[in-house]
Amino acid sequence: MNRLFALIRREYWENKGAFRTTPLVIGGIYIAFLLMSIFTTAHFDNEMYTFREAIRLLAEQPTEFRSTHGLEVLLGSSLFFTIVLAFVVFFYLLGALYDDRKDRSILFWKSLPASDTLTIASKLLTAMFLAPLMFWIVIVLTQIIMAIIASLMVISVGENPWTLFLSVINPFEAWSMLLVSYLASSIWFLPMYGWLLLVSSFAPRIPLLFAVLPPVVFAILQVWIRFLETFTFNASLFGLIGKWVANSPAILTVQVHDGEGTLALGGPLTDDFDHAVSLMNILDRLFSVQMLGGLIVAAVFLAGALWFRHRATES
Amino acid sequence: MTSIISARGLTKRYGRTIAVDHIDLEIPPGRIVGLIGPNGAGKTSALKAILGLATFDGELTVMGKNPSRDRAALMEDVCFIADVAVLPRWIKVKQLLDVTEKVHSGFSRDTCMAYLAQTKVTLEHKVKQLSKGMVAQLHLALVMAIDARLLVLDEPTLGLDILYRKQFYSSLLNDYFDEQRTILITTHQVEEVEHILTDLIFIQDGRIALNTTMEDVEQRYTELMVKPERAEQARSLKPLYERELFGRHIFLYDSVERQQLTELGEIHTPSVADLFVATMKGGQS
Repeated sequence: MNRLFALIRREYWENKGAFRTTPLVIGGIYIAFLLMSIFTTAHFDNEMYTFREAIRLLAEQPTEFRSTHGLEVLLGSSLFFTIVLAFVVFFYLLGALYDDRKDRSILFWKSLPASDTLTIASKLLTAMFLAPLMFWIVIVLTQIIMAIIASLMVISVGENPWTLFLSVINPFEAWSMLLVSYLASSIWFLPMYGWLLLVSSFAPRIPLLFAVLPPVVFAILQVWIRFLETFTFNASLFGLIGKWVANSPAILTVQVHDGEGTLALGGPLTDDFDHAVSLMNILDRLFSVQMLGGLIVAAVFLAGALWFRHRATES
Repeated sequence: MTSIISARGLTKRYGRTIAVDHIDLEIPPGRIVGLIGPNGAGKTSALKAILGLATFDGELTVMGKNPSRDRAALMEDVCFIADVAVLPRWIKVKQLLDVTEKVHSGFSRDTCMAYLAQTKVTLEHKVKQLSKGMVAQLHLALVMAIDARLLVLDEPTLGLDILYRKQFYSSLLNDYFDEQRTILITTHQVEEVEHILTDLIFIQDGRIALNTTMEDVEQRYTELMVKPERAEQARSLKPLYERELFGRHIFLYDSVERQQLTELGEIHTPSVADLFVATMKGGQS
């Protein structure tokens, strides 16, 4: 266990820029935008009249309204973080078993008494838990700072931030929902993570090409052959991957109901699962037949990665 | 005592090329073995098999374990430098020590710091900021701080200046080596290691050309230097190898009575380098 933690810490050290700096920069951008908008308002709006009016209108809304929409704001503002996190994890996994082969430092890592299984586990766990956890922490910090700034603004126009939103919105509900959704997504996307690690373990060069090209070629052939057979465009690997993302337990999109938009899990294009953001709907995905199939695919890919890792120092 | 390394019919193929060709080998504990061969002779392939870095055919056990299957367990008792400059470039020295300490139970941070104190490497350095020689010093400090029973060094001093090379070999011998430990070393700078070796293995075209102890070398092999007029007579004693230097003929003999040779000219114990050249040339003809 100590070894595993030491290896995960090593992953953190190597990828500090991706796991720590990147979310901090995004958080900084959020805060900068907030401050910029405040200054813009203050510049053009004499005596902050519009802002004052807006706050007054908001204060007149029922508590229920402020609480649900506040929650939506907290969850919704994680979206940009989530998308960047996906890119970070994608490129981290692509390089995870490739970079040390390329710079030959694999010869050093293999001189330590850590098995290939433990090494791959440390990289997979880093992608599944460490990266989302880092992003989550920064999201929470960013939202706390933004809430402080917003409170000061509200105080400055003579309203009470406590009764307006601080006591009304339960941030812990949003934060725990977000964390659960991140962790569930890490499990949901295991087949993709497995594929990336597999590619990373054997690609002789440019792992990105090896990761993307085979599925693309496969999907095109699939579509083409289906078209020749049936003269229709049927489901292909593309469709399957698209559907997988649409079914994911990550808070990714907004769905519109009766003219009102609410946040949704994945993309509300499929009807395999309920897309409303709730713990039950997240668990529903994790205990589904699809998830079971995905885990089997992931296991095959990971076994392949282990096989290649074992032979990575052959020549 | 059981052998540290035991190989029977050890073979390594890369497609159709045979890099290691049915090698039999026993290395007991407490030896310093020099594995010497020309480029492409199969040294690195043999070492990789021993270190669990490559699959192989035949039988091979290192401290009773199959290296290919049990590499991680084996690395508790084995440490190696498989090549120069393989330390990750992004890592800080401090982090390198931390991760090694956590993963390797036999690593002593104090010992490592003591070795590093003799160099210009500091804890705050990143590996990529170090010169090639300093990286080699760091790697050597790291492996010498590991309490292992087998140390494998493949060209450990490449890129190091002569002062540090001397210092390294002397601390290897004085501070590190003892009867419990075995060191397997390959190098092209044979002259530098020949005084510390206890055993000698020459490898050529994937086979063992010579496997002997240094004591045996002294007893078996004799180098004879004669004037040209005596060359014919010397040649009749079937030398392994002959060369000319400043008009003198130099012959190398295997198991020829020294008495007999003294009459012809000056005799010496050959250097490992000369013995190596003689064995390689002899093997080819």
